[in-house]
Amino acid sequence: MLIRLTGGEVVDPVNGATAKRDVWIRDGLLVDAPKGATADETHDVSGCIVMAGAIDIHSHIGGGNVNTARLLLPEHHRSHLPRPANTPLSNAGWSTFQTGTLYAQMGFTTVVEPAMAPYTALHTHLELADIPIIDKATLAILGNDDFTLSLLRDSKSKAMLDDYVAWVIGSTRALGVKVINAGAAAAFKENVRSFSLDDTVPEYGVSSRKIVKSLQASVTRLDVPHPLHVHANNLGIAGSADTAAATIAATEGVPLHLAHLQFYGYGTEGKRKFSSEAARLAEAVNANPDVTIDIGQVMFGQTVTISSDVMRQFSAIGNASPKKTVILDGDGNGGGGIVPYRYKQDYYGSLQWAVGLELFLLITDPWRVYFTTDHPNGAPFTAYPELFELLMSSNARDAKSTELNATALGLTTLASVRREYTLEEIAIMTRAAPAKLLGLKDRGHLGAGGIADIAVYRKGRDIAKMFREAALVFKNGDLVVKNGKVTHYRWGKTLRLNPPPDKAMVKRMQAYHEERYGLSLDWFTFPDSAIQRPDPFAEVVS
Amino acid sequence: MSVAWIGSQPVPLTDAVRNAAKLLASSRCPVFTLDADVHGTRSAIALAERLGGAYDHAAGDLLAKEVALFTDHGGMFTTPGEARRRSSLIVIVGEIPVAHHELLRAWADSQPDLGDRQKRSWFHIDGTETAEAGKLARKLKAISLRGEVLSLPAALGVLRAGLQGQRIAASLTNIDRFKKALTTAQFPVFVFSGTSGETAGLVMLQGLIADLNKTGRASSVFLPADDDAWGTALTSLWMTGFPPRTGFSNSLPSYDPGRWDIQRMIRDKEADLHVWMSTRGGETPPRGGKIPLISLSKTNAPTSGAKITISVGKAGIDHDGVSYSSRTGTFRAVQAAQPSQLPSVSSIIGQLAEALPGKKALPC
Ligand SMILES: [Zn+2]
Repeated sequence: MLIRLTGGEVVDPVNGATAKRDVWIRDGLLVDAPKGATADETHDVSGCIVMAGAIDIHSHIGGGNVNTARLLLPEHHRSHLPRPANTPLSNAGWSTFQTGTLYAQMGFTTVVEPAMAPYTALHTHLELADIPIIDKATLAILGNDDFTLSLLRDSKSKAMLDDYVAWVIGSTRALGVKVINAGAAAAFKENVRSFSLDDTVPEYGVSSRKIVKSLQASVTRLDVPHPLHVHANNLGIAGSADTAAATIAATEGVPLHLAHLQFYGYGTEGKRKFSSEAARLAEAVNANPDVTIDIGQVMFGQTVTISSDVMRQFSAIGNASPKKTVILDGDGNGGGGIVPYRYKQDYYGSLQWAVGLELFLLITDPWRVYFTTDHPNGAPFTAYPELFELLMSSNARDAKSTELNATALGLTTLASVRREYTLEEIAIMTRAAPAKLLGLKDRGHLGAGGIADIAVYRKGRDIAKMFREAALVFKNGDLVVKNGKVTHYRWGKTLRLNPPPDKAMVKRMQAYHEERYGLSLDWFTFPDSAIQRPDPFAEVVS
Repeated sequence: MSVAWIGSQPVPLTDAVRNAAKLLASSRCPVFTLDADVHGTRSAIALAERLGGAYDHAAGDLLAKEVALFTDHGGMFTTPGEARRRSSLIVIVGEIPVAHHELLRAWADSQPDLGDRQKRSWFHIDGTETAEAGKLARKLKAISLRGEVLSLPAALGVLRAGLQGQRIAASLTNIDRFKKALTTAQFPVFVFSGTSGETAGLVMLQGLIADLNKTGRASSVFLPADDDAWGTALTSLWMTGFPPRTGFSNSLPSYDPGRWDIQRMIRDKEADLHVWMSTRGGETPPRGGKIPLISLSKTNAPTSGAKITISVGKAGIDHDGVSYSSRTGTFRAVQAAQPSQLPSVSSIIGQLAEALPGKKALPC
C-alpha cells in the first residue's frame, strides 16, 4: 500500500527547512518519493502543515493511581462526558478508550506514563493495552523501596545496583526509570513530614541526593537511552526553586531529566511569600547542557492531582476540592495521593500559570524543554491546544493576562517576554526532541525509514482549533483521524527495554520476596500473555 | 460431557452461541451479572456497551458499599505487603471474610522487619460479634474493643472520641490497653472490608485514621468482600471511567447505582434479557426474574430457568487469566491449576459478539 500526502507544508526540522513537499508512506513506513510509482491513495493536504505525530513524555494516563482517581471522582466524568471536545477541563474519570481517542485527535501518536510502581506494573500495562490507537511507554519508579535503600545503606557494589535496576526495567516492561521525591515516601512512613535533597531517610541513613545520584549513574551505566527522570523534593512549596536549582547543579556532567519544573519555580518574595523564580531556573537550565526539563503547565479549572509523591499529596489534603482524597502508603515505590483541585484565577493560580509560561519562553533550546501539563496535575492534556496558542502568540498571553491577578503577574517577567514559538520549535519540542530523549529513532521526524506517524493540521488563525482537531492523523500508516474525529480504531504497542536479567539477581529477588512478603516472586511478575492482546509490547533496541 | 444447553437439552456449543446471539440481538435492554477475571470482565463490558446494556457484579450489593467509601469520602490506605512488613499494631474492624483469614494468620506468624519492628499486637473492634469474627479474633489473640449495645459505627465513634480525649458516657472494653499500644506503635493499621459494616461506619473509621495522622502515622488495609468483584470494579473504572453499577445509553457510559441496579431493573421489567455469570460455580441465579436468562456458568448441568446455558471455566483453575488478589492488593497473572477444556468467559463472549448481526469483533 503506497500513500501520498501532497501539497502540504512539511515542518520537519530534523530533515531540513520547512518546505512544500510530498510525504510518502509505504506499508506503514515513511519512504522517499518512489520513482515512477503511482500512489494507491492520495491525500490533498494543500493549506495544511504536516508534522510527525506528537510525543508526550510525561502524562499520567494509566495505572493504579489514575484508576483510583476515577473511583474517587465519578461525578467529574459524568458532567464532562457528553461534550469532551468543548471542555478542556476536568477529565478525572476518562476511560482508557477516551484517552487514546482524544490524544489521537490532537495528532499525538506516542504517550509516556511516567509513574509505574513496579509491583503494580501488570495493572498499568492492562490499562495501557486498552488505550487505542497510540503507542505507549512507561517509566518504572525506583528510589523509595527497601531494596534500593538497603543496597545504598550497605554500600553494595554498583554492579549489584545495576543488576537490580535492569531487573526492574525488564520485569516491569519499562522504557526508563523515574525517581519521585527520592526517599520521601519511605521517610513519610516513619512520620517525617518534610524532605529535602540533603535530608536522610530514617533507618537507612541515605540522603535524597545519594539516591538520585546513584540511580542517575546506574541508568547511565546501563545505557538506558532516557536519562533518569527526576521528580525533585519540595514540589509546590514556596522556596522550592532552591531545591530545583540544587538538583540542576548536581548533574555533574551526567544527563538528568527534571519533571514538571513549573511546580518548583516558586520563591518567597512578595506579600504572600509566593513568587516566581522562573527566570533564575531558566538561566540555570540554559547554562547546564546535562539537563532537560518538562514544564507541567497549569491551566485554569477543575482537575485532579495524581502523584506518587505521597508526602506532598498528604500535605495538600486541606486544599482538596471537592473535599475527598485518597492517600496510599504503598509498597516501596507504589502509593501516592489523589487530591482533586481547582486552579483558580486568583493570586496563586495566576502565578503558577505565569511561571510555567516564563519557563517555556525563557529556556532557549527547544531540544531541552518539553511540552507537558503533567496531565492531569497542572491541567488535563485536553488543554494542550490552548497552551500551544499561548506559546505561539504573545497577544493571546496578553489577552489572558488581563483576566488574571495583576499582583501575581507583576512578580513575573511574563509581560516583558515577547517570544513566540515557531512551528519548527513546536515540532522540535513535541516531536523530534522527545524521540531523542526517549531513544526512539523510528519517530519524531518524517525522514525515510521512520514509522508513518503523521499529524496534518489545517492552517488557520485559530491556533488552538488547529491543534485540537487534526485534519488527518496516520499511525503506522493507518489513517486514524479525519477532520478532528477518529475514523478508525487500531491497537498500538507499549514500548519497552528488555535488558537481560542477571541470574544471581533473579535468585536474590526470589529469596527477598519469599522472606519479606511470604510470597513467591511470580506473585509480582507476569508473562506477556497476561495482557491477552497480540504482541502488546515492542522492544526498543538502543 | 455436554458444555451447552438450550433449555434442558444438550446442544453443540455453536448452536447455543447462535441462539444466545439471537436473544442478545433482539434485546432492547440486556443486563449483565458479572463473575469473571479481568479479561472476562473486559469482554462483557465491551459487549454491554455494544448492546446498550447495564452491568453489575454478582456480589454487587457489597461492592456498592465498598465503592461508596471512595466515591463519598476516600481515605488513607496501605497495602497488605506494607502492613505485614511495617505494622506492629493491627486492628481488625468488624467481620473480615473467611477468604482473607489465611492472609491475616500469615501476618501473625511473621515479625515486622521495617519501622518499629516490635512484636505484632492485635485488636478487634466490633459491634455485635458474629461467630466467624469471634473465631478469627481468638486465633489471632486479638484484644476486644467493644461497648455494651454499641453497633460497629457507634463503637468506632466512641473510639475516635476517646482518642481525641473527649469525655463521653459510653466506653469500650480494653480502650486503655489500646491507647498504650498506640504510644509505641509507629504504623498502626486498621483492617476492614465491605463486610465490616455500612459505609457510614467505614467513613467514621477513616476519620479516626485521619485524626491519628495529625501527629503520627496510621493507615488501613482494605480487604474487599470479594476479590473478583473488586477486580471487576477496577476493570470497569478504566474501561468506562466508572465503577459498577454502570450502564450504556447512546453508547455513552453512565454511573448510577440506583438506575443500573440490575435486580431492580429485572423486577421492574426495565431489562428484557439477563446474562448471568458464575465462574465460581455451584450457584443459582437470583429468583424473581421473569425475563429470559442466558447462563455462563461453571456447571455440568443446565442452569434451572435458563433459556441457554454455556459452561465456562474459571481463571486460575481451568485456564490462565488475570485476577485481583488481596495478598498483594493488585492484579496477578494466574495460571491454570487444573487446566480443562472449559472455555473462558472472554472466549464465549467473543464468539457471541461475532455471531451478532454485523459480525464485528469486540475491542476486548
Ligand atoms: Zn507527573
